[in-house]
This record gives sequence, C-alpha cells and structure tokens, in this order.
Amino acid sequence: MDPDALSKAFVEHYYTTFDTNRTGLANLYQESSMLTFEGQKIQGSQNIVNKLTSLPFQQCKHSITTVDCQPSGPAGGMLVFVSGNLQLAGEQHALKFSQMFHLMPTPQGSFYVYNDIFRLNYA
Amino acid sequence: MDPDALSKAFVEHYYTTFDTNRAGLANLYQETSMLTFEGQKIQGSQNIVNKLTSLPFQQCKHSITTVDCQPSGPAGGMLVFVSGNLQLAGEQHALKFSQMFHLMPTPQGSFYVYNDIFRLNYA
Repeated sequence: MDPDALSKAFVEHYYTTFDTNRTGLANLYQESSMLTFEGQKIQGSQNIVNKLTSLPFQQCKHSITTVDCQPSGPAGGMLVFVSGNLQLAGEQHALKFSQMFHLMPTPQGSFYVYNDIFRLNYA
Repeated sequence: MDPDALSKAFVEHYYTTFDTNRAGLANLYQETSMLTFEGQKIQGSQNIVNKLTSLPFQQCKHSITTVDCQPSGPAGGMLVFVSGNLQLAGEQHALKFSQMFHLMPTPQGSFYVYNDIFRLNYA
C-alpha cells in the first residue's frame, strides 16, 4: 500500500478508535511500545491504555488538520506526524495538538505503534 | 550519553546552526535524509539545505518550548519531537511550529538527521 494512503488510513483508524472505543487502542500497541503524553513517559500496551482511558474527559473528538509520513529505515517502519484539534465535550474551544507515531510492521502484514509522542499546542 | 541530554544537545545545536549559519546544516544530513517542510517532500542533504537557505526570510530565531525523545528501535536511532516559536526579523508575532527528527548514529559515534518533518501550528 502506498505510504501516504497507509498513514492516512492508520490515522483515521487510530482517532476513530480513540473517540469511540478508547480501550480498543490496546490492539495498536505492544509490550515494547512507548508513549510520551504531555511529557509523561509510559511503556507497554496495558499501561498506555490505562493512561489514555483515565484522561480527565469522557467524550472527545479529534479533527485532523495535517498528516505527514516518511519511511523510518530498513526495518520497514513508518513515521507519521499529525496536527489537529481535540474537542472535549462541554468545552467551548477545541484544544490544538501535535502527535507523532512510529509504526512498525507485524508478521501478519499489519502495523503497530512502537513510538507515540503527544503534545498540546498552546496559543 | 543519556538520551534526554543527547536530544536536548542536538536540538540546541540544530536551531543555533539554523539561526546563525543555515548552510552549516549540511553536516547534519546525508544523501538518504528526508525532509517534509510544510507538506513539501525533499531528499538529500544538498536539496534539503537548498530548501532551507531559500526560505523567504533572512534572519530568524527559534525558541524551544518542549523537547520529547524516545529510542526508535534496534538500529540505535532516536526520535526527537520539538515544539516552539519561530520569530522572523521584522514580524510582530512569532510563528508557532512543531518538528520531529529521527536521528541515526554514524560510525564515528555522532548522529545525523535521517527523517525531518516540520509544520507550522496555526492559531
């Protein structure tokens, strides 16, 4: 699959899962996966999903503004760099965020998130 | 060297070089390096430096707000995720930006930029 199409498909799947079934994100990470969320470092699928499901909001919607991708090296990985808006239920203004994913291939021909870094972009 | 210290040192060196000697960035890229600058894809040190030195401003200053890093896999690479402000000479307000670097080790024990993605963060 063309890398740009693959990264867009991943991004759509990731944020739709985040916004509708946050625990479902567990399938996208493995034990070696790393998340840095607003400076806090977390490792492993279970710890990562615990962090994401315990964020202080129930409902949210991500809207993606830009998606850039590049191959990351001989291991077949893909870097995906996203910027967008995060609307929390009940809040008047959306938050702006940037996030980068490093996707690594699985033996079954899919991808999982090996590296994940999330930052809000304050005005 | 501790990864956090290494990424901070790289970021300082990169942006100081950008702000004072933009052509000097050539040493930080190789022929296989990739830059995506506001959606435009460029490959190779010479093409990348040509793009950066031809940007429509002479003087600029990057101020870094956040630096996050994670190891990128068995090849010894390092992912560095930066957010900050970019002040152009003569402009009243600074631009906000996010940038990610994927640093790969050189045989001499240094690092070069393999992947580079830059995006402005519009209000």
